[in-house]
Amino acid sequence: MAEIENASREQILARIRTALRQPAPRHESVQRKTIFAPVADALDRFQKECAINITECVVTPNLGASAAGVKDVLASIPPGDIFVQDSPELRRLAEKWPEGCSIQWSNEGAPKESSQATITACDALVAQTGSVLVSTACGGRGASVVAPVHIVVATIDQLMPDLDAALARVQERGIVSQNSLLCLITGSSRTADIEKILVMGAHGPRRLIVFLSLA
Amino acid sequence: MSTASREFLRRAAEKSADLTHRETLRRVVDNCNTSMESGRTRFADWEAARQRCHEIKWEALNNLDRYLLEFEQRVKERGGIVFWAENSAEACRYVTDLATSRSVHKVVKSKSMVAEEIHLGPALEKVGIEDIETDLGEFIVQLRNEPPYHIVAPAMHLTRKDIAALFKEKLGDVDTDDPQELVAAARRALRRAFFSAEMGITGANFLVADAGMIALTTNEGNDRLCTSIPRIHVAIAGIEKVIPRLQDLALFWPVLATAGTGQPITCYNTLIGGPRQENELDGPEEFHVVLLDNGRSELLADAEQRDVLHCIRCGACLNACPVFRTVGGHTYGTTYQGPIGSVLTPHLRGLNEFQHLSYASSLCGACTDVCPVKIDLHHHLLENRRDAVRSADRPFTERVGFQIWRWTMQSARRFELLGWLARAAMRVAHGMRLEGTPLDPLGPWSKNHASPVGPKKSFRALWGRANGGN
Amino acid sequence: MKISLFIPCFVDQLMPEVGLDTVRVLRRLGYEVEFPRDQTCCGQPAFNSGYWDDARPVAERFLQVFSSAEVIVCPSGSCTTMVRNFYPRLLADSPMKEKAVEVGRRVFEFSEFLSRVAKTADVGAAFPHRVTYHDACHALRELRLKQEPRELLRHVRGLELVEMQYSEECCGFGGTFATKFAMISGAMGNSKAGNAEVSGAEYITSTDPSCLLHIDGILRRRNSKVRAIYLAGILAQTSSAAERRAGAAATETAR
Repeated sequence: MAEIENASREQILARIRTALRQPAPRHESVQRKTIFAPVADALDRFQKECAINITECVVTPNLGASAAGVKDVLASIPPGDIFVQDSPELRRLAEKWPEGCSIQWSNEGAPKESSQATITACDALVAQTGSVLVSTACGGRGASVVAPVHIVVATIDQLMPDLDAALARVQERGIVSQNSLLCLITGSSRTADIEKILVMGAHGPRRLIVFLSLA
Repeated sequence: MSTASREFLRRAAEKSADLTHRETLRRVVDNCNTSMESGRTRFADWEAARQRCHEIKWEALNNLDRYLLEFEQRVKERGGIVFWAENSAEACRYVTDLATSRSVHKVVKSKSMVAEEIHLGPALEKVGIEDIETDLGEFIVQLRNEPPYHIVAPAMHLTRKDIAALFKEKLGDVDTDDPQELVAAARRALRRAFFSAEMGITGANFLVADAGMIALTTNEGNDRLCTSIPRIHVAIAGIEKVIPRLQDLALFWPVLATAGTGQPITCYNTLIGGPRQENELDGPEEFHVVLLDNGRSELLADAEQRDVLHCIRCGACLNACPVFRTVGGHTYGTTYQGPIGSVLTPHLRGLNEFQHLSYASSLCGACTDVCPVKIDLHHHLLENRRDAVRSADRPFTERVGFQIWRWTMQSARRFELLGWLARAAMRVAHGMRLEGTPLDPLGPWSKNHASPVGPKKSFRALWGRANGGN
Repeated sequence: MKISLFIPCFVDQLMPEVGLDTVRVLRRLGYEVEFPRDQTCCGQPAFNSGYWDDARPVAERFLQVFSSAEVIVCPSGSCTTMVRNFYPRLLADSPMKEKAVEVGRRVFEFSEFLSRVAKTADVGAAFPHRVTYHDACHALRELRLKQEPRELLRHVRGLELVEMQYSEECCGFGGTFATKFAMISGAMGNSKAGNAEVSGAEYITSTDPSCLLHIDGILRRRNSKVRAIYLAGILAQTSSAAERRAGAAATETAR
């Protein structure tokens, strides 16, 4: 793309450089203290946090059981398009799902506005906050927001104890450099803008369901 | 006295007398503060968190050019465009030119205080582009044609009945004040907008230098839809929003959530580094980041107050402030309210016109105590006052008054004499029942207080008598 | 140990009983107390209004008046804060900058002196009433006094300490804020008065007579049953038995 004309750029940078010739005071710190207590039992902590932030967390013995769980969820929601991230694992899982299911794979296009649910993998889970970390590699941008139900299929090796570990992981694995969007999702969409009363399901999904298989 | 100052006093008087408004405000703010208090207990050491946040922001602002350039470089590497805007006009022009040149008819906006600051909404409307706020609180005040009431909770002053009446009138498809139904109505209305708008505009909570990504924080997910469906995404942010590393978010995300709403972490924390990449299946074709100066580089040059730029716009100081709690957000008449607004606005918009905001404080210091990045807010109010005295218009009577005060206080005899005279005048006024009349020497004081009776003898006179005049 | 009294200008002129009660308590504990007659004001009114160039000579004069004082005790958290926390700032370019830091180490708010220097919580007082304590802003946030004044009150015979809601919230005085922004100040003060009334207390007290002047004026305007009284005003009250006991114990500490 051609360079845009932006005379202000140099002016702003020049003013910043001049400004910074003068040092600014800093509050002194005494010693390095622990800010967050270390997470002892990641699985336990993840489940507790999910209960707090209203993520439906289902721990399963293996991916086969996860597939069965997903099937049950699909049976419980209104009929309609189900958008699924196109990955070998999810293709395998889909074999277990009902025949009548209208599956739209991610390689066919972005999720339809009328989708009833989306199903994706994730890049990490975070025990500290009960969060799911996804990127555009997980079925694109719309996959984690467009439908009223978002189902995440995850495995125990993806569970990180805390944000520090999760962010380090996505950087080390090139997920940050290879994707234009990442999102740390904690619970389902909500708002308290009306009298500070918590209402679930604002613009994003009303339900976030995580199937976490131990194998 | 500036127009802004006169208006502030008028609104402050109105709101201070409005007991219903004060009750609502008290309830909402108490809620915020209770949540924040409980949120803080999730930290092993909240004070250590504040200190570390302060250090990271100090590092970012004191190396601002370096980090901004790093950020810009990485955004460009992924096909994004970075535009540096000197001021509001330039920033608005860039966005409106872009929108018109790309045949944009509708814009969906995710909550951005900077967009408010530059009055982007009116600028878009002027060139015939429909501008829709998608954050629920912003959506509500937009329908009411009002500015946001609080930087984090734009509609905190409204009851569900207010909102129900508003939706019934403007949206039509709702006839209840049940919050669930109201949110569903907003969702329906805004969903149509998300799927038909050609451009999504967001702010940025952080500009992450090493990753070349903006970080967005919402609970609703409206920012996610603004940045997934429309074909153009424009992010506008103040240059001060930089943080050095992605890793720093492991601290800032929980801190922002705790200080802003008391949550352990907000629902959607999103990182965006470019338009849709080649291998990606959806997302905008274009990604623009507008970096706004608008007075920030000048504030940066003020080494004493540079830390005001550390602000992460959490709103905690508003919730801690007894003045905010009495008069509410609209009284300030500025984009940024509360303590941060009172400190910042004179710098961004002129000391002469807005110095009154820095004076409208009892200097209680609750804001400084609560700020998650340890900005010395109430001390900066004092510094703004000092600067106002040095270089702005102060009332002539005040200047002369303090000269007389100084002259008096430089001599114990003068102090004793003038003190005696003042007390005598008070006793006379009291005897003549002047309290509350135009001749009341304690005029402004008598508005709220039963007057003290000037004692016949001062402490030093009584001491002298009792202690043989030492 | 000889105590030099630093009596705030408005206390000297408008609330002399605050100073007298402070002296009573200190003497009861066996301290020798002197009052440097040459003192006037610490300079805070001008400083807070932004008139630093007018405040500076007044501050420098204060330091001269108290330059040889061994220990300075002040019945006001805000005036103590001015000297200890703000003088180094105000006098940053003055030849008296070091003096400011040095004197700052020797100045104490009254309750701070009793708890942290005299290390006495029981001053032999008796005051059989229900009392609530207002956390004055400077004392709370600049001098970090929260439990100390309360401990002193808890040791007062017959006194029932009740906590009011929002005790840490500013009363709304803020010096010239009370006149420049009277409507806001009045609302905040009435809030405070209301909280005191609801607490069931008969008296409201604090470390800061400036707050109490404001709160008292509002309480009387409201015809409230609650009365404002300065901390030393409570601590100065005794039953003679209590006084004797406390006097004997404290005289040792004071030496």
